[in-house]
Amino acid sequence: MLSQQIANGLFLGAVYALFAIGYTLVFGVLDILNLAHAAVFMAAAFVALVLNAAGVPLLAALLLAMFFAGMLGILVDRVAFAPLRRRNAGTLVPLISSIGVAIIIEATVRGVFGIDERHFPRTPAASVALHAGSITFTALDVAIFATALVLMAVLAYVMRATALGRNIRAVAEDRVAAALLGIDLERTIALTFFIASALGGAAGVLVGLQYDSVTTSMGSRIELRGLAVIILGGMGSITGAVIGGFILGAVETLSIAYVGSQWRDALAFGVMFLILILRPTGILGKRALRSA
Amino acid sequence: MRRVSSLLACAALLALVAPVMAATRGPAAGQTLKAGVIADVTGAAGVYGSVQRNAYELANEDIRSGLLDSGGVNLTFSVQDAATDANQVANLMQRFTTDGSAIILGPTLSAEAFKTDPIAVKANIPILATSNTADGITAQGPCVFRNSLSEAQVVPATVDKTAAMWKYKTAAIIYGDDNAFTKADYDIFKAALDKRNVKIVDVETFHTNDVDFQAQLTKIKSKSPDVIVNGSLFPEATKIINQAGKLGLKAHMMGGNGLNSPKMYEVAGPNAEGVVVGSAWFIGGQTGGNGTFVARYQKRFGSLPDQFAAQAYAAAQIIASLAREGNVTPAALCNGMKNLKTVQTVLGPYSFEPNRDARGAPVVLQIVKDGFASLK
Repeated sequence: MLSQQIANGLFLGAVYALFAIGYTLVFGVLDILNLAHAAVFMAAAFVALVLNAAGVPLLAALLLAMFFAGMLGILVDRVAFAPLRRRNAGTLVPLISSIGVAIIIEATVRGVFGIDERHFPRTPAASVALHAGSITFTALDVAIFATALVLMAVLAYVMRATALGRNIRAVAEDRVAAALLGIDLERTIALTFFIASALGGAAGVLVGLQYDSVTTSMGSRIELRGLAVIILGGMGSITGAVIGGFILGAVETLSIAYVGSQWRDALAFGVMFLILILRPTGILGKRALRSA
Repeated sequence: MRRVSSLLACAALLALVAPVMAATRGPAAGQTLKAGVIADVTGAAGVYGSVQRNAYELANEDIRSGLLDSGGVNLTFSVQDAATDANQVANLMQRFTTDGSAIILGPTLSAEAFKTDPIAVKANIPILATSNTADGITAQGPCVFRNSLSEAQVVPATVDKTAAMWKYKTAAIIYGDDNAFTKADYDIFKAALDKRNVKIVDVETFHTNDVDFQAQLTKIKSKSPDVIVNGSLFPEATKIINQAGKLGLKAHMMGGNGLNSPKMYEVAGPNAEGVVVGSAWFIGGQTGGNGTFVARYQKRFGSLPDQFAAQAYAAAQIIASLAREGNVTPAALCNGMKNLKTVQTVLGPYSFEPNRDARGAPVVLQIVKDGFASLK
């Protein structure tokens, strides 16, 4: 049972991590929480679902949904954050405005699609059970896990080895100094929102596929966990968000396996509470984005 | 086990030859009786509420055409969507207690009923619940009735039938621990299994709206039960069935009313085949105009009705029979239901127990590729 539960925890953790790195990326650059991230996550899942149902292959639907999510992220920044940034509105006001944008996005999706659960068109080949030792999984599980890892690896590469990554890290380090060095602040912030939201959108599509469920409430289901993961990993730390995501996935799964399913949430959040008592700035510490 | 298709053919044939009943004129002819219906047409429980709305729309048409005889009373069912939102249910309950409605039908879920029925009880408006199956629903007030068999009535029959068929010795239960209905499912299944000395080797819980059950199901798999009890509502039930199949669980599965939707196979896929569900209604039943109802429903909505549609239509038949006898005020309807003699409905011959619960015989169904088959 242990090997299967570890596999379950890894599949779960990969999606938590992918969702959380979008959260933490924006926080690392702007020092604000983008609470519209979960709404973008949900909207992208609906876009991929509509495209796939219209005959667009799944991979293309995923990429198009990521692009849509990225553009929606830029729109969120333009509407909820940029005007307040120009007025130096602090960190609390943008938090509230991002909640407002999230409600607008959710209401729009609800108006278009209704609140009933939707399902991706069934692909029987993806649901066939495969076995590796005592572990059972499907081709879809592996594809989702691999996609999450590839996207995280691509982000790591972009952050460490490209001019854009250097610009994002410079803005995260010191916005004024970055501007003095000639970095276009608004463009860098917009691109940060694009990347963060595209990754959040990818997580939405993958969750929708993994559990065969796309609903307007799917964002709120993962939102609190995403926040917990980035606090656990260290606010603003991408690596920390990845580690935090896998820890949460593992703790949730193993608490069901060895303690009791009724204790799942209490134990998962209890363990995080303990880690934060020992390391109040999270596993990798605050503002680790600058070192990516 | 009889196939549904042949019975449907009989039902359709009967529908064609069924004579249109002529409407009579009762003591309250010409008066108006408005019944407020609270249904979760959309949202998580939309799979139940949408068919309830369909059934009341059909009932409204049948009253106008005289197929459903209300004794000349202008009986209408006013359906409002509560969107599976308890606050919305409370708002609608408040509205129907002040807008001249003489009776309230619904809400869709037991948990909603426990929260909001007291509003109608306080206003002395009778309630006829058509899909609340948790224990204690009718105990909330002297005019709270239901025509849905409770889980306590359905589950023991399901356990008896499956025990004879599968001869199991061990069981595992997975249920939602934050919902009155699914918690009741756990309590009642456990009691029924204990009574048969079936050893319960594992109990797992989840929360409403969860989507990942793999950790719980992996644990259940490690205990190798002969049978799994799925105590959940439709959205979670489909995922549990699907993920259990994916993990290679070979144990038989059974559940209560939450699994009772013809969409189960469509959403959960082939893994749903063979799952056994306790029910209050069988599509192939031939009493109380059921054949006509099934055929007309299918023609009108393009899909077959399910138990929830049948229970809603049966409620319309009960209220029409009360109206026929001149009961059009809240007090008269409450008294009428208390003294109801057997009424022929699509659920079969129908009356209320002294505690206002439904009096009827449950049927046990098995999910097959094209819907359900009845286990004889």
